[in-house]
Amino acid sequence: MASIDEKPAPPPAPPSPPVPVVATSYFNPISPFFNAYDRFASWRRDLGLPHPGSVESLGKEVKATHLSTYIFDGARADITKTFSMNPLFQATHSFALGSQTAPPSYNFTAIYATPSVFMQGGVDHEGNVNGRFNRGWSPNNVTKFHAQFSQQVGHNMIQAEQEYQGADFNVNLKAINPWPTDLTGIYVGSYLQSFTKNLALGVESVFQRPTPDTSEQITSYLARYTSSDKSWIATTQLQGAGVMTATYWQKLSERVEAAAELQVVATPTRRDAIATLGAKYDLRAASFKAQLDSTGKVSALLEQRFTPTFSFLVAGEIDHFKNAAKVGVGVMIEGTSLTPEEMGYPPEMQ
Amino acid sequence: MPSEETKERIVKVVELGRTALHYGWIPFIIYVGFTRSNPQPSLIMLISPLA
Repeated sequence: MASIDEKPAPPPAPPSPPVPVVATSYFNPISPFFNAYDRFASWRRDLGLPHPGSVESLGKEVKATHLSTYIFDGARADITKTFSMNPLFQATHSFALGSQTAPPSYNFTAIYATPSVFMQGGVDHEGNVNGRFNRGWSPNNVTKFHAQFSQQVGHNMIQAEQEYQGADFNVNLKAINPWPTDLTGIYVGSYLQSFTKNLALGVESVFQRPTPDTSEQITSYLARYTSSDKSWIATTQLQGAGVMTATYWQKLSERVEAAAELQVVATPTRRDAIATLGAKYDLRAASFKAQLDSTGKVSALLEQRFTPTFSFLVAGEIDHFKNAAKVGVGVMIEGTSLTPEEMGYPPEMQ
Repeated sequence: MPSEETKERIVKVVELGRTALHYGWIPFIIYVGFTRSNPQPSLIMLISPLA
């Protein structure tokens, strides 16, 4: 359809003499810098360095093998209900009872996630709320918020975080409890860069400003070495105040992983070291973790999956030096209102 | 440097936002999840741990 205001097709342009593009550019005086940058960028691209992962997940293989973050005592029940897979929407009711260290508690958690947005909210029986909100602007640029709200004064926390993942580097900026009028708060910046196919080096700087008059900066240095076939990973983190953490993780076979961690504190007032050794076995319907550390603690955790929706956990810890023991049992039930086809399973799974 | 009045206003706004998120964050997630889920679940399944 031809409308009146449509412009007529422009007549073919007369053949113009070829003009050198560089001569007409306003950036001509600084083009040597651009050329140098382009050459540097292409040289860097040709190296084919891998993405080093974020500073926060520097030792994530070790944390997943050790059971320090998974151990519990008393009785525990987690009931998860998935209402929708795409977008993901699920609610979890967690009950904990009879722990030696924590009072009985109830916790409700709701999660909503699409490929670009992640929202999580949790509330316990005392009314304390914690929430997370992640928004991915592109596959390698994410903004994250984490907040805790409590009735008690001084237990509120908000953390804003921006993470950018480059092809061979990772930048992360964090602000914890920033206050707009006097800029107090804790600010963390970290940068991790791959230098060879195996080695990544990084730096993390924490800037604390509790009041407008006082401030403190602590810088720590990080290194991560991944073997060429990714079967073992060694990391070390050196903090300015004389604290060092070194970890080693190795995949012994398809189903067995082992990890070691050494934490050394060598300050003028305190000299201390803790070594932890752990192993994880992934069996067909069960996962078993065992751990031994230099403070005399031996612990183990078994997670047995009876059906895809029901698993049973047993945890135990013996402290040989203090002569104390902890035992925990737990159940995890995953219910869903969806049919297997909606869950994305092939129909014969059920 | 902002004036005392601006500072007081910022304190009020932050406190209001904190209270709104404290009581509204989980209802907001449930509302968003409930309205955008596919298929849409029934309300009783959402509340009860047993249903």
